[in-house]
Amino acid sequence: MSVLSVSGLVAGYSAADEILKQVDFDLAAGEIACIIGPNGAGKSTLLKAIAGLIRSSKGSITLNGEPIGGRAPREITRLGLAYVPQEHNVFPSMSIVENLEMGGYVEPGRVASRMDNVMQRFPVLQRKRRQAARTLSGGERQILAMGMALMVEPKVLLLDEPSAGLSPVAAHRLFEDIRAINREGVAIALVEQNASDALDISDRAYILVDGRNHRTGVASQIANDAEIRRVFLGG
Amino acid sequence: MSPFLAEFVQLLLNGVMAGAILAVPALGLTAMFAVLRFPNFALASHATAGAFAGYVANVSFGLPLIPSLVFAFFFAGLLGLVSDEVVLKPFRAMGAITTAIGSIALTIAIENLIRFVFANELRGYDLPIARDMIVGGVRIGPQQMQNLAISVVIMGLVFAFLTFTRMGKAMRAVADNPMLADIKGINADTVARIVSFGGMGLAGLGGMLIGLDTSIDPLTGFRAMLSVFAAAVVGGLGSLPGAIVGALVVGIGEELCLLVLSPSYRSAVGFLAILLVLVLRPRGILGQRAY
Repeated sequence: MSVLSVSGLVAGYSAADEILKQVDFDLAAGEIACIIGPNGAGKSTLLKAIAGLIRSSKGSITLNGEPIGGRAPREITRLGLAYVPQEHNVFPSMSIVENLEMGGYVEPGRVASRMDNVMQRFPVLQRKRRQAARTLSGGERQILAMGMALMVEPKVLLLDEPSAGLSPVAAHRLFEDIRAINREGVAIALVEQNASDALDISDRAYILVDGRNHRTGVASQIANDAEIRRVFLGG
Repeated sequence: MSPFLAEFVQLLLNGVMAGAILAVPALGLTAMFAVLRFPNFALASHATAGAFAGYVANVSFGLPLIPSLVFAFFFAGLLGLVSDEVVLKPFRAMGAITTAIGSIALTIAIENLIRFVFANELRGYDLPIARDMIVGGVRIGPQQMQNLAISVVIMGLVFAFLTFTRMGKAMRAVADNPMLADIKGINADTVARIVSFGGMGLAGLGGMLIGLDTSIDPLTGFRAMLSVFAAAVVGGLGSLPGAIVGALVVGIGEELCLLVLSPSYRSAVGFLAILLVLVLRPRGILGQRAY
């Protein structure tokens, strides 16, 4: 059963500039779905529209059957959906502890216990807990951004290019962390330029081209499709 | 101590005291800028409103100094909250420049309202007269020392609020990254209301502290405005520690210039400080990081 369902979505920054022209997307409970495609296909725009940062002009978005289209980002967060932007995803002048507190802002009574869980999962955050987020490396920032998202114990996690700018080793570790979070029952929608690694950890894949669905299918099948490999995975 | 050295130390001390007082409204201005992203010129009239509210509490109701200061803070804060909600908020969608111009209109309106009620005459607070202390040729006024102590306590309270309270941290989060703050569930409208209340409350406190040193009239806030803006810009508009550093730089600079210039050129120091910073280090001494 879908926890997140997007149907016929048309969205963009203005009516004259619709980036998503017609997109359908489903995320089942407990699965990882990756969204891949060329630059400008609308991958990040889809996540932003789901998270409430961009208004959609047509189509519907439902979370656990409840329509969330047109709602403010903070209301969507309260319903159990956490979105991690690609950039500017931490509060740079605040410490790691303060960033995590802000991550759990909507449920202040549960911040302490959840912060313990996040710190156990990501020991680097524990070690650097008093440091300002701006002093962290790119990989550590991504981990902090994911830790902040986990502070609301989301049912659905949207990750926008989490491996962008990371070294291959750091990206590999990050994908392992994503898989571990998913194993605990969190459904994850993942936008990635690093398509082969994303397909490796995903159950389902969506390929977007020019704001429309191009192909949808089981991730392993998409990864082995000769045409997809040639066009989207570089051979 | 040689007469020149005594004069230098005297001016330095006066500068530190003036700078500490200046830091209070400068903190308010920079906090509002960090969150709302426009320079709120209405700070001038709110400083005056706070000064007059404190005057009413102190002279008309006979309250002692500290409760009068608290009254000045709450009156100016509430006025700031209401004026932002009613007048400035509708401007915000039209951009920072339009909102800043709106704030100039607002400050002229409030200033004239105060003039309408209290007229133009100079008024002084009802404070006990105390003899100055003279240490090594340097004159130290007990009231000035008290003002310095009050300013330091206020600065400490502002930083404690921002460091230890949930709302203070939320305010820093909005200043740091408004979009992410929205995603994390922080209500930007609530933060805007609290920063308008707190920022204008600090302006009101600053207005009264300035008045304690001299006297008040409907132009009290307007006259201090250049120094307050210079302090915030010199430290880095939007940086709270920068506002304090900037206030001390401007306060001390305004006093030390008296060594070589006549007092009538004193206000040039504020302009000069803004000019130098904008040319040499446009982000200010401490940059524009809020905290």
